[in-house]
Amino acid sequence: MGTTATAYLTGFGRYLPGDPVDNDGIAARLGGDDPVTDRIRRRVLEANGIRQRHYALDEHGEPTELNEELAVKALRAALDDRGIDADDLRMLACATTMGDVLVPGFASMVHGRLGGGPMQLLTASGVCASSLSALDAAAAKIRLGDHPRAAVVGSELASRSLRQLRFDGIRAGMDSHFLRWMLSDGAGAVVLEFQPHPTRPSLRLDWVRHVSLAHEHDVCMRSGMTGAETSVGRTWQDVDITDAEAAGMFVLRQDVSMLDELAEAGLRQFEELVDIGLVDVTHLDHVVCHYSTNVFRDLAFDGLRRRIPTLDTDRWFSNLETRGNTGSASIFIALEEAWRTGRFAPGETVLLAVPESGRFSFAFAHLTVVAPPDQQGAPT
Amino acid sequence: MTDTSTSTTTAATSAADADAAAGADTLADRLAEVWIELEERLAHVPVLRRLADGTVTIDDYQRLLFNLRQQVVDGSPWISRAASNFDIDHFELRSAAIRHAEEEHRDFLMIERDYVAIGGTLDELRRGRKNVGSEALSGYMFTYADRPNPVGLLGAMFIIEGLGAKRAAGWASRFQEVLGLADNQVHFMQYHQQADSEHTGDLEAILISGIIDDTAADEIVRCAEVVARLYALQLEELDR
Repeated sequence: MGTTATAYLTGFGRYLPGDPVDNDGIAARLGGDDPVTDRIRRRVLEANGIRQRHYALDEHGEPTELNEELAVKALRAALDDRGIDADDLRMLACATTMGDVLVPGFASMVHGRLGGGPMQLLTASGVCASSLSALDAAAAKIRLGDHPRAAVVGSELASRSLRQLRFDGIRAGMDSHFLRWMLSDGAGAVVLEFQPHPTRPSLRLDWVRHVSLAHEHDVCMRSGMTGAETSVGRTWQDVDITDAEAAGMFVLRQDVSMLDELAEAGLRQFEELVDIGLVDVTHLDHVVCHYSTNVFRDLAFDGLRRRIPTLDTDRWFSNLETRGNTGSASIFIALEEAWRTGRFAPGETVLLAVPESGRFSFAFAHLTVVAPPDQQGAPT
Repeated sequence: MTDTSTSTTTAATSAADADAAAGADTLADRLAEVWIELEERLAHVPVLRRLADGTVTIDDYQRLLFNLRQQVVDGSPWISRAASNFDIDHFELRSAAIRHAEEEHRDFLMIERDYVAIGGTLDELRRGRKNVGSEALSGYMFTYADRPNPVGLLGAMFIIEGLGAKRAAGWASRFQEVLGLADNQVHFMQYHQQADSEHTGDLEAILISGIIDDTAADEIVRCAEVVARLYALQLEELDR
């Protein structure tokens, strides 16, 4: 035996806090208006191509919402889109880079705020690819028939740690500026079910693949440590909090010199998907790719086109330029927009691709658009 | 239950009685006839027809589990009641009934698990009531079980266990095929293939053991006829 069910994405939601902030509105919220920082910011923005983003900060840079609130609002949007309530969920998988509190887990806080009935929780903590880890775990439980319905959310509130007060008196190099002017806030959510949506198309989740190459790569993106190596005394929990702050441990940093290597490794992972037949390049219709800056867009697009000559810009979707880089939330925020704006038609396939710089993780998911059951004709 | 098909059955039974008197028809043959008629009737039950056609919906499956649960929850109690009404001269049947009641009395929990696994809630399931077919079936079983030495209930077992052994697994795999269900969502129907095959084996042993006289055989056949009709009625009358 061993018959499993199928997981379908049937509801999509997102939440982007506040009004969109254009490039001139950043300094009012995050600070850094001295001439040197200003010059660096312009350079970084020019490279990443982001034109607007959202922050859960008011115009003076004060926080307006919690990360868990962003997650709940995206979840409510996804539940509304599907026409169900939190009571209908049996599992909630939440991904974030940093929750609002150290303990308990992010999913516990999101569930507490969302409400609904008893349910299984998972907190997938990581960076950008953690949302696909959460999706994979929820989909596995749906396939096993353990749960009929689950919701998955990726949520980020990076802006709090990008504000000037985190940088006062800290030696901040390119490793922190790069992220400071790139990351922003938002949440994206999907509803997963063992049956397709009764009256609308759904996205069938064919597979998720997640590979870490941390065994052969140093840390690339980090916070809470000094340098790239961890050892006792060099993480924030080993030392006095004020010393940790003075050492700049609470600043998000990324070793930008490793990013080319990250892009190459990501493309190799994609090549492998093609080589082992998980991606059939003759039947791949859409790619929704997460990347941190437009520099990597071109690199990734060219890399994919080497294997998919028919891939043109119409089949490639990203909303980085208008929604910002929201880390783990990005892939769901992009998927939601692509779905809502009618880019996908029944029968078409979609590849989600999420490279994560943290310590070299790569997540991919393959989806197929399916028509509602009453339009599918006789079941097989 | 006074429709034409039942009258036909009665006529057929009378004919069978005549044959039996002539020593031509064994109890097994007579039960086989009841079974064939049940199968014909099941082929016209709407939910089973949709299942065969591949047009069955997840809602159909959920309703079926909901309706079955309300009657299955009574399964062990009527068998226990029957067990308590077998005197010492029917010790073997009493033993078999006690064993069987124990084996069955958690069965409804499997339906409940399946029901929850496809999105239903325990609360609504447990607040449910029997449909009119289940009321009739359950009422008949309890009434029959109240008789002294209710040997005829072997005919009820023949039908109910037979459906489990011969049909349930087929229904389970067809529901899985049409609706894409995981094994975890069809426990009840899958389980009954194995469990009820064992029970029908036990039943056959009793039927050929020589403890069934002609009067008992008539009772068994009659009970099988009634239960077959009421079981089908339960499947026809979903939610009513």
